[in-house]
Amino acid sequence: MFTMTSTILRNLLKEPATRRYPASVRPSFEAARGEIRNDIHVCTFCGVCAVKCPSQCITVDRKAADWSYDPSACVQCGVCAEVCTSGSLQQARDYRKPVRKKELVVLKGATTPPKHSDPPVTG
Amino acid sequence: MIRHGILIAAALIFGPLVGGLISGMDRILTARVQSRIGPPLLQPFYDVIKLLGKEKVVVNVWQAFCANAYLTAASIAVVLLCLRSDLLLILFIQAVGSVFLVVGAFSSTSPYSQIGAHRELLQMLCYEPLLILVAVGVYLQTGSFRIAAVHALHQPMLLKLPFLFLVLGLVLTIKLRKSPFDLSTSHHAHQELVKGLLTDYSGPLLALTEIAHWCDTALLLGFCSLFWATNPIGALLLVAVTYLMEIWIDNVCARMNWRWMLGYGWGMGMALSLVNLVWLYAR
Amino acid sequence: MTRTIIPFGPQHPVLPEPIHLMLTLDDEVITEAVPAFGFVHRGLEKLVEIRDFHQMIYVVERICGICSMLHAMCYCQGIEEMMGIETPPRARFLRVIWSELHRMHSHLLWLGLFADSFGFESLFMQFWKIREKILDIDEATTGNRIIVSVNVIGGVRKDLTLEQTRGILSELKSVETELKRLETTILNDYTVQNRTVGKGVLTAKQAYELGLVGPTLRASGVMQDARMLKYAAFDDIAFTPVVETDGDCYARCKVRFREVFQSIDLIRQAIGKLPNGEIAVKVKGRPDGEVTSRVEQPRGEVFYYIRANGTKHLERLRVRTPTFANVPALLTMLPGAGLSDVPVIVLSIDPCISCTER
Repeated sequence: MFTMTSTILRNLLKEPATRRYPASVRPSFEAARGEIRNDIHVCTFCGVCAVKCPSQCITVDRKAADWSYDPSACVQCGVCAEVCTSGSLQQARDYRKPVRKKELVVLKGATTPPKHSDPPVTG
Repeated sequence: MIRHGILIAAALIFGPLVGGLISGMDRILTARVQSRIGPPLLQPFYDVIKLLGKEKVVVNVWQAFCANAYLTAASIAVVLLCLRSDLLLILFIQAVGSVFLVVGAFSSTSPYSQIGAHRELLQMLCYEPLLILVAVGVYLQTGSFRIAAVHALHQPMLLKLPFLFLVLGLVLTIKLRKSPFDLSTSHHAHQELVKGLLTDYSGPLLALTEIAHWCDTALLLGFCSLFWATNPIGALLLVAVTYLMEIWIDNVCARMNWRWMLGYGWGMGMALSLVNLVWLYAR
Repeated sequence: MTRTIIPFGPQHPVLPEPIHLMLTLDDEVITEAVPAFGFVHRGLEKLVEIRDFHQMIYVVERICGICSMLHAMCYCQGIEEMMGIETPPRARFLRVIWSELHRMHSHLLWLGLFADSFGFESLFMQFWKIREKILDIDEATTGNRIIVSVNVIGGVRKDLTLEQTRGILSELKSVETELKRLETTILNDYTVQNRTVGKGVLTAKQAYELGLVGPTLRASGVMQDARMLKYAAFDDIAFTPVVETDGDCYARCKVRFREVFQSIDLIRQAIGKLPNGEIAVKVKGRPDGEVTSRVEQPRGEVFYYIRANGTKHLERLRVRTPTFANVPALLTMLPGAGLSDVPVIVLSIDPCISCTER
């Protein structure tokens, strides 16, 4: 009882361990496994990431030069970035921001001439 | 007559308001001693406003009636305290309110509610005799059960009734549902009975019981303040210290069971009261 | 009061995970407890048919978050044994370091939940505050707080730099001091002892016959710990299991509390002896045959049965988790206990239901 008293008094005098989250954000660690980002101009659409992904959240269409990724199915294991042959896939330090709707991230590459002239859609 | 009217209105408004503010401060302080930031000061009011805005689901008519009766009795007790009425009357009206809360819980069929109500009865069995003993101590000191008599004293009652004040602190811990005694229901629901006797109160009815709980808090703290009635600052200090002790107890104790509560509450409470009463009588 | 039947769970604030207990009460004394499972079954074992054996590492990690590192380690050790892969010594030491960090944060989580089960909220917050330090170490070294994903077949994915090992040691030092401060409260406090001593007693014979594992078994005085099998680097590290003899909730709490300190010691030893060299070997070929693998999770011994047929998909994966073995103890301990002791007793086996149901 008395040791607990000293503990709670120490807590009272010290800064709280929690923080007001959206207002103050702790910077991520250097090694933190966050969002997956693909530099589509470097991507060769080899499809290794899609094969190795344990949650099968990446689909690659080599002909259409389409790379799409389902962030809500991703488990942030980082395997895709590790096996990427061209180095276009990178795992950022920060997590993806919360979203209201599940959305696919569809990236269109320019290695083959685009069939229609839509601008690249980014997530 | 007009003075009475203003007093009654003030008691009706400020009783729950003070209780709610104290509850808000309690939550912040409790969070701070657990090294959390904690909610805003007005969080209890936000909670109650949200509950009042919810759909009213009446489990049965009795329960709805009991919630209203509990609030009515609790506010009448606060009004009577402000009118400096009879102490015994106040305590009995407060007890009637608590009984209505229990009856409301018994009127639903949920086993959590039933067992919670059962435990609440045991808690009342524990603290009601102690409250009466404290009132008897006040009577022996002032020669009257009327609160006005306490205010007529020239010397703080605490100096003559120190042990009885400790007993009142014990009662306060049980009434505020603080840690060793959060048996019948608890504020955070991390308990085997979840919300215990409040399980089947929901929406606006739960809000009523919450407001009534604020009134109860205000009433008991008002009772505490009588022990230093000679000086308003002294009274305020006494209440503040008492409440800080409650938060302290809450954060250094595990929850006990009702057998321990009955044994400890009666054993310790009765012993302290008797020592104080015998001392008063012998003098 | 007449007989009451209480549906305890599956959603109950005291329970960290969904288990349903139908409690028959006589007054406030339990006469019968019937458990029911099946609320978090995800069919992860069946996934071997559509995920290849490398991808399965990330699937078994997600059987349960709290012991994820040890699930993956057990699986990888099984596959390595089947394929005859010799993991580099550095990888084996790194596995010990991360697995003991995992045990620490799991036990700290449990100590907090246990404090919460007997209504000691401020103690609960203290343990979880300390746990954050371990999670920070995990995030700084592996990239994730809980599902660290460091194991691969043939070794580990991440390495520790000298600076990082120094950081771990200094963090562990402060964790140790903060835990020492809470020792008197969790072990000697009057109110805590009142709620834990003599509750849910299991004798050594009972515990052994029920087939219990882990701290639940060791608290009854049976010295049995899968780390005695000397997997990973445990053959180079001095290790004696923590054993208590009383067999009640207090003893189980004491075993876990002491194991946190033991883990600190094991990590220090492993960092001290950490050899230089490779952290993983390249894996060629596909597994064939069948193998069983065991490691000691925070909750007890986990058992993997793996059968492969030379293709990239395994044929069968079967996981026997520690909680599956420990649940029968509840049925022995609960009848006769008071209702207020139910959360304490249920938590004393450290139930992990998502492990149990997979």
